[in-house]
Amino acid sequence: MLEARNISKSYPTPRGPLPILNGVTLSLASGDAISIIGPSGSGKSTLLYILGALDPPTSGEVMLDGRNPFTLSDKDVSEFRNRQVGFVFQDHCLLPQCTVLENVLIPTMVGTDKNGTGKNGTEQRAKQLLDQVGLSHRLDHRPAELSGGEKQRVSIARAMIRDPKLLLCDEPTGNLDRHTALQVADLLVEINRTSRNILVVVTHSAELAGRLPKVFELVEGQLVAK
Amino acid sequence: MSLVRRSLQYYWRTNLAVVLGVATAVAVLSGALLVGDSVRASLRDLILSRLGKTEAVVTSAQFFREQLAVEAPGAVPLIVMQGVVTNEKNGRRASKVAVYGVDDRFFQFNGYSQSPPLGNDARLTPELARELGTGLGDTVLLRIEKPSAIPRESIQGRKEDSGRTLRLTATNDAPEFALQPSQGDVSAIYLSLRRLQRDLAQQSRINTLLLPAAQFPKDKITLDDLGTKVRALPSTLSIETSSAVMSDALVAIVQHAAGGNAKPIFSYVANSIRIGDREVPYSIVTGLSNELPADGIWLDDWAAKDLNAKPGDDVALDYYYWEPSGSLVTRTANFKLTKILPMTGIAIDRDLTPEYPGIPGAQTIGDWDPPFPIDLKKVRPRDEEYWKKYRTAPKAFVSLETAQKLWGSRFGKVTSVRVEGSDAAAFSQKLRALIDPQMLGMAIVEPRAPALKQAEGSTDFGEYFTYFSFFLVISALLLTGLFFQLGIGQRLREIGTLRAVGFPTAKIRRLFISEAMVLSIAGVVAGSIGAVAYAAFLLYGLKTWWRGAVGTGLLNLHVSGESLISGAIAGVLIALLCVLATLRSLKRSSPRDLLSGNRAVEENPKRGTRWLRIVAAFAILSALALVGAAFARSIPDAGAFFGAGTLLLFGVIFFEWARLRGQIGTVTSVVRLGIRNASHRPGRSVLVIALISSAVFLIVALDAFRRPPVAASDPHSGTGGFPLAAESQLPIFWDLNTPTGRENLNLSSVKDAKFYAFRLRPGEDASCLNLYEPRTPRVLGASQAFLGLNRFSFTETTSKAENPWLLLDADPKDGLIPAIADANSITYVLHHKVGDVFDAGGLKVKLVAALDDSIFQSELVISEKNFTRAFREEQGFRYFLIDGPASNEAPLEDALSDYGFDVISTPARLAAFHRVENTYLSTFQALGGLGLLLGTLGLGAVLLRNVMERRKELALLRAVGYRSQHLRTMVIAENAYLLIAGTLIGTVAAMVAILPAFLQRGGHLPNPSLALLLFAVPVAGLAVSLIAVRIVARAPLLETLRAE
Repeated sequence: MLEARNISKSYPTPRGPLPILNGVTLSLASGDAISIIGPSGSGKSTLLYILGALDPPTSGEVMLDGRNPFTLSDKDVSEFRNRQVGFVFQDHCLLPQCTVLENVLIPTMVGTDKNGTGKNGTEQRAKQLLDQVGLSHRLDHRPAELSGGEKQRVSIARAMIRDPKLLLCDEPTGNLDRHTALQVADLLVEINRTSRNILVVVTHSAELAGRLPKVFELVEGQLVAK
Repeated sequence: MSLVRRSLQYYWRTNLAVVLGVATAVAVLSGALLVGDSVRASLRDLILSRLGKTEAVVTSAQFFREQLAVEAPGAVPLIVMQGVVTNEKNGRRASKVAVYGVDDRFFQFNGYSQSPPLGNDARLTPELARELGTGLGDTVLLRIEKPSAIPRESIQGRKEDSGRTLRLTATNDAPEFALQPSQGDVSAIYLSLRRLQRDLAQQSRINTLLLPAAQFPKDKITLDDLGTKVRALPSTLSIETSSAVMSDALVAIVQHAAGGNAKPIFSYVANSIRIGDREVPYSIVTGLSNELPADGIWLDDWAAKDLNAKPGDDVALDYYYWEPSGSLVTRTANFKLTKILPMTGIAIDRDLTPEYPGIPGAQTIGDWDPPFPIDLKKVRPRDEEYWKKYRTAPKAFVSLETAQKLWGSRFGKVTSVRVEGSDAAAFSQKLRALIDPQMLGMAIVEPRAPALKQAEGSTDFGEYFTYFSFFLVISALLLTGLFFQLGIGQRLREIGTLRAVGFPTAKIRRLFISEAMVLSIAGVVAGSIGAVAYAAFLLYGLKTWWRGAVGTGLLNLHVSGESLISGAIAGVLIALLCVLATLRSLKRSSPRDLLSGNRAVEENPKRGTRWLRIVAAFAILSALALVGAAFARSIPDAGAFFGAGTLLLFGVIFFEWARLRGQIGTVTSVVRLGIRNASHRPGRSVLVIALISSAVFLIVALDAFRRPPVAASDPHSGTGGFPLAAESQLPIFWDLNTPTGRENLNLSSVKDAKFYAFRLRPGEDASCLNLYEPRTPRVLGASQAFLGLNRFSFTETTSKAENPWLLLDADPKDGLIPAIADANSITYVLHHKVGDVFDAGGLKVKLVAALDDSIFQSELVISEKNFTRAFREEQGFRYFLIDGPASNEAPLEDALSDYGFDVISTPARLAAFHRVENTYLSTFQALGGLGLLLGTLGLGAVLLRNVMERRKELALLRAVGYRSQHLRTMVIAENAYLLIAGTLIGTVAAMVAILPAFLQRGGHLPNPSLALLLFAVPVAGLAVSLIAVRIVARAPLLETLRAE
């Protein structure tokens, strides 16, 4: 269960604080998949980062399964992001010096092995995920050898390696052509369906937004259901 | 243009780093050249200041009239000698002290403020006073050689008591005058000219004139100045010399002047003339005419009656002969009496014998104190009667040729020449006109020009410091290139945009080159200022920590525009080359790549990696081959292992490069991820490794060339197996290996010593201890006994010989005297090679062999036979190699203190030479270490740049749960990998390179401070990594993740 209560965020500027979010409230359950749309600069990514505990709100609170990550210590909030949240960025942010398999395993090299799966277990999962995203034949390849869509699929697999409760995507198809974007969109939906995570996608793409059951729009700092 | 200006301003941080890199390179290059200029200029200043107003110098082998100073306008008379000075109070002694007998003319000539010493006063230079520990009013004893016109090595020359001791009262603050260039402080003593003339029994005579101009009225030089006289006899003229013997050259001139009417004469003292058991003691025998057969002898009537002789009798002559090796022997020559002369004519001609000192005033034979032993018991009253009546008239006559064969020496084979005529003045004039004073040892030299040439120096410090600063320059240029490259990397999107809007590649390149030119010029300006500071720092080092390399603190900074410009041009050119190389790599990148912030990917990376592996394998196999060759003794160990180490270094670096282009290990932890990150930019990473490993390799491996102490006992080492070497200020004439010699020189306390004596022509030090280029190097004359020993080792000879020393025995061909010198002196000081012919200060020599790191680095060695022929005026022995216990050092110095006998242990002598080399090595290692540290610190900045380039990655890692400490670990792991890899590769390769030296020293590691340096490098690098990580940790990473 993800709950965002009365989230406000403003950024300091020389002319005084600039309000971006103004009392956003959101409640999502396991298996929910939403898209957030809005004009450029409306605060979509800001809201995403607050939900993912990457950026604290000016006021309000976020609770995931009853835990407010912003009240945790640095160590615990890292652990929180490592285990509970998966991120997919517009620019895939793959490590160019690591292979596809290694990129997926990056999050498993830190944090605790609460599931007790061990090294072999995580590697097995990584391969399964890559198989799921259609890249099982590219395990030893480096990002420079992949297309944009393939890179984004790797970043999705990476985001899912810890089976997080929350999958946050910031313009995941922004750099992709339409056909590839639809493939990625379908993949996200499929993963949401199978893993029953909470999927939040920030996007400009009406097509991508249309693939998800719920659409919200950020207007003047407020989240409005469409 | 405004785009260039805007870019320069906007990217000022990166540009500042580029400017600093160029400035450092220029500062180091120009600074090194300035050091060379400063050393040369300092040496020039030294010699010019010490010459004072002297433009020319008249020197002479014999003393000449002081009146000549009046006859030559502005000339200054003085006596110049070398002596030994002892502080009477504390016993401290200084040798090779320049002794000047001067009066007020000397001080006025040079404009010195001091007043001339008078009476018993002596002025000491500050260096001499310091060496002796003298204060104002202290008593010093000056020991000098008494001049002797008669060669001491002739039978008539006095060998004992050849010195004179003067008791003087010291005052300090003497002027620093010197006629010979020397980088050290002047060690000199000035005393009253009159006092010195009196003590040397040379009243109104001097041996040196200083001239204010290079002009001298040679016509004022008389025969008397040249030690020659024409004596009018009743019906002939007798041409004689003050040395009582005439050189062949002078005899020839006299004969020429006499137009064929000259009769050379050779008179000698015979200990006895014997027929059977009858003998006549102590008689003059004259070689006069070639009418006699070779074994024929004439006796005068007096001797014939005394011996009861008749023609046909066998006559034996016993006579003393002074062996060149230093002993007085008695020889016998046998003749047949062919004629008895009446007591008239030549039989009573006392003028056939030169006027030896002591003879004119001797009333009896007993009154004469000859320089050889005589048994007065043999002198009978009859002999004293003869003396009273006939004095030195000869009692016997032999053929001139026989006389010359029996008694001739290198000093001459004629004691006088009889010329028909009676006008002594006219003949004197005629003779003088034919004599070139230089032939008789009087020379006029202009010291300035040769001294200035010598000040150019045998060692080019500019060149040496350029080599020493090699790594500093490389580090600086590497960083310049790297920062420029980073700057380009920072602006890839900008370049892509320019391409996208239509800028051609050439235009973009010109823009960046314009920026690079501005940065380079700024770097040059800053670097030129830095060059002066760097040169000042190096000169300070040469005067203090590295004083062993130059032996003087009298070096001053001289800034020359030429060196600054040279360094600036070199720095700019190399920096621009780095920049052009960087820009070239962009050619392959498409605008699309550039707009996405990427460079073009290599088309066939696997092919490149394969080539790297092939080159690496080849290098390593070659290294193994060299090691094999060393074990097979095909090539010397030192060269083989150093070569192997170098190849190993290259091979491993190439292997590592190939490895970095692939995947390093598996990424299973944060540390391994950090290490993997090193392969992100393999070119950059391998540059780091290559720089560090090369610097470490050179700094450690060069230590192999550090000269270790040498044991005195090995006859094939640089000491020749001789524990002691000695040099004597006053020449020693006796053979120290004979009982007579030891007794005469009071060496009873010296045990088990065997002496190998050398003759010495004083001159300039031909070793690395002399900064001035020697033009008149010291020359030693080695005896046959020494040459036969076949000690020491040689690096090269002109022809194969079991005993290369015997190559010196050859007679001069085409006037070239064979000489041997040390290889170091030949190469680095004299700038010659074996087989070369050159003028060694009036001596034409051919180098026939080179000694291997020996104690002979200060001189050339020729055979004694050639020495005595070439240097007629050098007498006695002044250099000694001594076999026997080293504990003889002090007893020898004590016993022979009157001769100024300085003994040094041969290992200490070698160590003094090694100190120079070892100092050069230390300098290289210190500056190389500085370069290494600079590179390490600069690379920290590069690391920071690397981290900044990967901010997005780092942000992503934070987003997936990595903490600051994980990121820190990763960054440090990457840098540590590069630093440790570089240090390890360099150290292992270096240890291979120095393995022979390492084992030779019994497993002792090189200079411990090196270990400190090698430890400091990774520590410095890691410290810089921590700083970089701190900066990154504080930077806001999340902004890099945003899509908008």
